[in-house]
Amino acid sequence: MLSRNAQGVYWLGRYLERADLLCRMMKEQVGALVDRPVEEINFAWRRLFACMQYTPAGGLFNVASDNFTQADSFTLAGETTFEEGNPNSLTACIRMGRENARQMRNCISAEMWTSLNLSYLKFLDSDIVSIWRRSPEAFFDETSRDLRSFFGIAHATMYRDEAWLFLQLGRAVERAQGSVSLLLAQVAEETKLETGLEYGLESLLAIFEARETYRRRFGFDVASERVRELLVTDPRLPNSIRQSTDAAFENLNKMGPAPDGDFEMPLRIAGRTCSLVRYEWPDVDDRRKLLKEISEGTRQIHASVEKGFFHNSN
Amino acid sequence: MKLSAYELDNSVYDEMFLPSGEARSHCRHLRKALERMSGDEATEIQESVTRSFRNEGIVFTVYGKSESEEQIIPVDCLPRIITSEEWRIIEAGLSQRLTALNHFLDDIYNDAKIVSDGVVPKDMIFDCPQFRPQMKGFSPPEKIWVAICGTDIIRTNDGFLVLEDNLRVPSGVSYMLANRKAIKSSLRRLFRTCKVREIEHYGIELTRTLKELAPAGSPNPSIALLTPGVFNSAFYEHVFLAHEIGATLVEGQDLVVRDGFLFMRTTLGLERIDVLYRRLDDDFLDPTEFRRDSVLGVPGILDACKRGNVSIANSPGTGVADDKGVYAYVPDIIRYYLGESAILMNVETRLCRRPLDLEYTLDNLKDLVVKRVGESGGYGMLIGPQSTQAEREDYAKAVRENPAEFVSQPVISLSRAPCIVGRKIEPRHVDLRPFVLSGKQTRIVPGAFCRVALRRGSLVVNSSQGGGGKDLWVLED
Repeated sequence: MLSRNAQGVYWLGRYLERADLLCRMMKEQVGALVDRPVEEINFAWRRLFACMQYTPAGGLFNVASDNFTQADSFTLAGETTFEEGNPNSLTACIRMGRENARQMRNCISAEMWTSLNLSYLKFLDSDIVSIWRRSPEAFFDETSRDLRSFFGIAHATMYRDEAWLFLQLGRAVERAQGSVSLLLAQVAEETKLETGLEYGLESLLAIFEARETYRRRFGFDVASERVRELLVTDPRLPNSIRQSTDAAFENLNKMGPAPDGDFEMPLRIAGRTCSLVRYEWPDVDDRRKLLKEISEGTRQIHASVEKGFFHNSN
Repeated sequence: MKLSAYELDNSVYDEMFLPSGEARSHCRHLRKALERMSGDEATEIQESVTRSFRNEGIVFTVYGKSESEEQIIPVDCLPRIITSEEWRIIEAGLSQRLTALNHFLDDIYNDAKIVSDGVVPKDMIFDCPQFRPQMKGFSPPEKIWVAICGTDIIRTNDGFLVLEDNLRVPSGVSYMLANRKAIKSSLRRLFRTCKVREIEHYGIELTRTLKELAPAGSPNPSIALLTPGVFNSAFYEHVFLAHEIGATLVEGQDLVVRDGFLFMRTTLGLERIDVLYRRLDDDFLDPTEFRRDSVLGVPGILDACKRGNVSIANSPGTGVADDKGVYAYVPDIIRYYLGESAILMNVETRLCRRPLDLEYTLDNLKDLVVKRVGESGGYGMLIGPQSTQAEREDYAKAVRENPAEFVSQPVISLSRAPCIVGRKIEPRHVDLRPFVLSGKQTRIVPGAFCRVALRRGSLVVNSSQGGGGKDLWVLED
């Protein structure tokens, strides 16, 4: 497979996975505007922007006023969703994903292209005013569903060649990075709260789509440590960090060695990152530090894949 | 829908109706279908086809001042129908024409006998900007310089005429196939009743052709399609064709020449390419031989080609044979190499390099179409009847200064075919571009990209200037 195509398909997976995470976060966020306390809404906005590693143009507020929060939330939602200048906005991710798909149309199935193009065209017809007037939750829910349909169609129609592996790898790396980043943002914001306060755990479970699983495993009492354990280490939870790092490792393993440099570097780094999640997590006290190490591991997987497969000097 | 209001003009050939207003016998099923169809149904079909093109991203990209815009080539849902007998004439004529042009190209880059025998003027060939001296002494496999050709054909009351040969990187074949797919599913019953010949095997024929042109000793040649990239207006077509022929779609940056062989950079290392179907103009193909500032091409690719290590389709240098001046000589070229008269005639063309033709052209500017020999796509020409006195004076000055740069032709009224316009059926001018493939044998699928001038009364069918497409149905015997 052409290195350029491999890179295009890999980034296709990354952009759409990023868009999906953003949809899930935004769905929870706009839902919270209806009935959650202002402090909790502000907490979740700060967590969201920390996760995206983006500072909104007008800065982040910290005023506990309902009117202010509601008005500002509209602006922030617009910036997160439709702002072209924000490289991680939903519109930027979907546009870039679609652009990668357009360029790599010969590497993906026709059904995948049509599905994504339809979602893109539908998205183009939307704006913050219209979705706010109708139901912003429904908009983010539908967009997320469209993105997942794309991956479902990919699963059903895509030939299981290298392109498939790079698509899955891109998804896995992005999901791992996004999830770790979100958990780190949660931990960082928690440390700023007064003792005894806990915000954002329910929405965190919802974003990871782990609410029902949590209840089945731990009951209705939502405790921070259990939430983290579930989201990081559960091998059967589709959005857990373990699932994502394992998936990255498996896809790299199927690809074989990269043609340049240290042949097995990407695979080795992925293996090391997997073992941090599997074997270090239960025994380590400083979970924040370990999350940072996992985050660095996912960053290195990405860098070694770029170097080994996409920019090799052959 | 009512067909009684359909306007007929007996000076122009109508593809569906006889001058009496009766439908031509091969169009009787179409007439019945139209009579059964309501205005609402017609509009619905049009909208549904347009929507499907948009959803599937069957577009060409137009780059404006600020950003790119993806546009659909509008499709008219009514097919243009021709008989198998008419197609046989087109097929034979195109095959003859391309065979002769391939002989011509091989000759002028080698012995140039046609020039020394005085059939074609020497300066017309060797001074043509599209003549590539770098290709002198080269002969491609099977002596096929042009493997893929798209020839523009029009019909008048006197029959079919060739308007132009496109021998460099002809485009439009993806629209031929996309139009067929869309119209076939929209007019299912009519399609079945009419017994239309298939065109869907174009990709297979193209693959066979390209494989036949592979360098000797490549039993299972690797084929790649070279695109200038996503910013090219025909990028959709490049992707589509790569898919159809199972080739890797490459850009210049993906390719490298090592030891006289062409390779592509893959995730597993370098992989050799045997045949390159290039959709990139000569100028940009090899910066060491042509334009030095090209970043789209591959340094050394021409050398690899000349060594016989990679076949490039179409070969560099073919543009000299579709020059508008050389066009006028194609009937002579056919006679010279094949000893036959041309089956498909040219539009009468006067070469301003000849004193009598120059005088005639200058005296009749307001009734003629005057073209620059090196231009294409409808640019750089004067359409006499639509021009102002000032425009004609400016143009006449340019012609006088450099007569060899110009040719003139009478204004030809292209035939018309019925189109859906709103809720009505109206006639519009059409041409057609069939695609000819030349390898060890010549192959032509029975279809064409049929272009339509969608503006009422317009003769301009170019998609960049308001033209659209139609499906061409060639009927079985």
